[in-house]
Amino acid sequence: MKNPFLPEKIKILEVIPETSIDYTYVLALDKEVKPGQFFQLSVPGAGEAPISVSDFEDGKLCVTIRKVGRLTNALFALGPGDFLFARGPYGNGFDYRDFAGADLKVIAGGTGLAPVKKLIKTFAGSDSVSSLEVLLGFKTPEDILYGDEVRAWVQSGVATLTVDKADDNWEGNRGLITGYLKNLDLSDRARCKCIVVGPPIMIKFVTAELLLLKVAEDNIWVSLERKMSCGIGKCGHCKIGDAYVCLEGPVFKFSEARRLLD
Amino acid sequence: MSVDTRKVIKNGYRVTRTRGKTALRIRVPGGHLETRFLALIDRIASQYGDGTAHITTRQGFELPGIDFERIPEINKLIRPLIESLGLSVEVGDSGYPAAGTRNICACIGNRVCTFGNDDTTGLAREIERMVYPNNLHFKIAVTGCPNDCIKAVMNDFGIICTVEPLYDPSRCISCGACVDNCAKAVTGALSMKDFSVVRNPDICIGCGECIRKCPTGAMRRSSSKSYRLVVMGRTGRKNPRIAQTFLKWADKEAILAVIRNAYGYVERHIDRTLDKEHVGYIVDRTGYQVFREEVLKDVTLSNRAIVAQHIQWGGYRYTSDAGFR
Amino acid sequence: MGYQLSREQFDSFLARLQEEYRVFGPAVDVDGGALADTDRITYKEVRCLGDLELNRKSYFSPKEIFYPVRETLFRFCQGDTTEPQIDGKKTAIFLRPCDINGIDRLDAIFLKNGPLEDFYYKRRRDKVRFFLIECTTGFDSCFCVSMNANRTELFDVALRFGDEILADVKSPEFEPYFAGLAQKPFEVRFIEKNSKEVRLPGVADITPDLFEHELWKEYSARCIACGRCNTSCITCSCFTMQDVSLGAENQMGERRRIWAGCHVNGFADIAGGHGYRQQKGDRMRFKTMHKIYDYYLRFGKHQCVGCGRCDDVCPQYISFAGCINKVSDVAAER
Repeated sequence: MKNPFLPEKIKILEVIPETSIDYTYVLALDKEVKPGQFFQLSVPGAGEAPISVSDFEDGKLCVTIRKVGRLTNALFALGPGDFLFARGPYGNGFDYRDFAGADLKVIAGGTGLAPVKKLIKTFAGSDSVSSLEVLLGFKTPEDILYGDEVRAWVQSGVATLTVDKADDNWEGNRGLITGYLKNLDLSDRARCKCIVVGPPIMIKFVTAELLLLKVAEDNIWVSLERKMSCGIGKCGHCKIGDAYVCLEGPVFKFSEARRLLD
Repeated sequence: MSVDTRKVIKNGYRVTRTRGKTALRIRVPGGHLETRFLALIDRIASQYGDGTAHITTRQGFELPGIDFERIPEINKLIRPLIESLGLSVEVGDSGYPAAGTRNICACIGNRVCTFGNDDTTGLAREIERMVYPNNLHFKIAVTGCPNDCIKAVMNDFGIICTVEPLYDPSRCISCGACVDNCAKAVTGALSMKDFSVVRNPDICIGCGECIRKCPTGAMRRSSSKSYRLVVMGRTGRKNPRIAQTFLKWADKEAILAVIRNAYGYVERHIDRTLDKEHVGYIVDRTGYQVFREEVLKDVTLSNRAIVAQHIQWGGYRYTSDAGFR
Repeated sequence: MGYQLSREQFDSFLARLQEEYRVFGPAVDVDGGALADTDRITYKEVRCLGDLELNRKSYFSPKEIFYPVRETLFRFCQGDTTEPQIDGKKTAIFLRPCDINGIDRLDAIFLKNGPLEDFYYKRRRDKVRFFLIECTTGFDSCFCVSMNANRTELFDVALRFGDEILADVKSPEFEPYFAGLAQKPFEVRFIEKNSKEVRLPGVADITPDLFEHELWKEYSARCIACGRCNTSCITCSCFTMQDVSLGAENQMGERRRIWAGCHVNGFADIAGGHGYRQQKGDRMRFKTMHKIYDYYLRFGKHQCVGCGRCDDVCPQYISFAGCINKVSDVAAER
């Protein structure tokens, strides 16, 4: 019997600093992955944690990690050529077919951009959606992830970027992401589909606002965050109601997610 | 009226402020009394005293308002109460055989209290049988845990029942309940290293709280009991002070042997020009090292037991009330 | 097949059983209680009938025998991982119907929840055989009948203990041990009524407003988050991973898992400082709903088997049975 807890040894190809505390690791990992899925990444001795896939192609897989604890401190000590350990992918991820022909709105706050970055890249300039609007919010300009790509999306008109706070050097939008929801083109409610990812409090307020704007519950997707220990439905840390975020999630339709009370 | 006051005092009666009246002092070792004796206490207080009983600071009863002449009658009446102490000497109808060594006090202990590391009542009674009757002035108390509700630290000999926690990491879920509690409410002897608990035995006081807090039984009681013996605490006019630790992690036999030896030590060093001399003042005079050597003579200490190398008692000195000058 | 054994015959049966099985049962851990001079009934290896404590309920459940409190998953050295071997012997456990049903609930999580089986659970669990202790009277805090967990067919051998011991040997694996003993038809009986009865809320009556109901506030004030209800529970299965490094720079060490409890601080924390269910009442709600509602939605039976250990061990005298009844009353009101 195969032991799902045993991780694979994975080579780090490149480390890209995104902010002072967020780094993207490009890993030599060739697996069938969907955006929104996650891996259990570890440095033996330092611990294991669920990390969303932010990008993948040609046998490479990217994860963006924030330095917040014992494991991520250990990860930050690693560089290209070093190894880390991974098992996965786990979770359902986003199903591209759900958004075929839609007016897709992706609303991402902070590190919530990571699990939808690949999806945005895929749909930007693609015919598979009818239209794509991206709304990105970060705390400060220093917290912006994937700077080059984000700037390109903004310049091409796909994305609107706002920061909660900034000094006078910042020439872009300011204010909470909820303040920009009304700018989204929601004219065709039947075709409009929204993905909301970010911190729990952001998801709460953005979904509430979208419902007020008459977006149907069935047309909103959220990605929930829980700290799974196992990723395979055993450890219990990610259970909300009768759902296990690692099995049925982390991507839920809001009509489903709102039932999961916690 | 002729009363041999020394004799009646040693018989458990006191000279009171009302001329001709005395008060009977009833010992209740361990502070625990079979309630059948309350009827006897009621009868003596009603028939011979003023119908009241005072609960003493050392857990006994004192029945005031008794005529000195009635002492022989009362001594006959209280015979069953004294016999219930199980003393090694024949008591008969002559009342309490001594009063110098005071009632052995105890908190309620583990017969009732969840903190209690031992049966303090039982131990107090055992000590009572060992040291009483004796006219030397000793104050001994037993407390069930380092909370020290009986205030053993205010006694000549205070026995604090302790427990050595044994840690089984294979049962530990790293919940931190023991570590948090020890840091917040005890001495901070526990810490977490690599998700396991590390105990600093130098500052662990053996309260056993980590064992009570543990949800898995990873912390359990050692099979043998252990005690901390604190010595030479006192109130009094001269230099009130709390007792200091003499022995840690000692077994019961060692504690009892030390107390037995202390009687011999006092016999050898007491100032016989005084009416009475309290053991603490004798230690002040001989020095700790003489006390230590004499009370440990022929005492077998277990491997775990530790003896204080030096003791410096502090306490209050009225002669240096600096705050008032 | 049914058999009758004298106590001596039972002891020699146990002796032979131990050649191939590690045999566990409820036994007295003398002075093993948290309070001084108290015993604790726990699951321990038993050598003879006299070792078995059949008149008092165990403080902890038998789950620790095959789901260790702390278990090393693998050791690593220079990037290589090695799984520890386990004892090759099989495991025989003397236990009551509620606990067998409880283990069935654990099986669902570890073996059937999601597409993957739990390797570590399975390899130990596969070795476990059940020796059912007939239980017709239960204990004061039991409510297995209310939870429909008083009966079970999932035993290998069922036993009635008395002056003589009656055995119903269901599994052929154990027939050889009984060969030559007096045959006597024996069908195990099950308790039909506990002294404590619990009223379960209808699954359809659990509505979202119940999650916000003020009945949970009482538990915020009373629960101290010690986790004894979780650690004593036969059906609580949650765990947390731990990595320990032995050498410098994480070159050597081990990954292990330890039992986790939803009442214990930190269980629902996520990265970046946020934590769910900070109020103890929310934890009580989370546990209660799992035991008597959402597990049912996934697996078609309630997780709680009414063993009552959580009620026995709570230092705050919180009654889970009482909580279920409160939920039922509130659900029925609306």
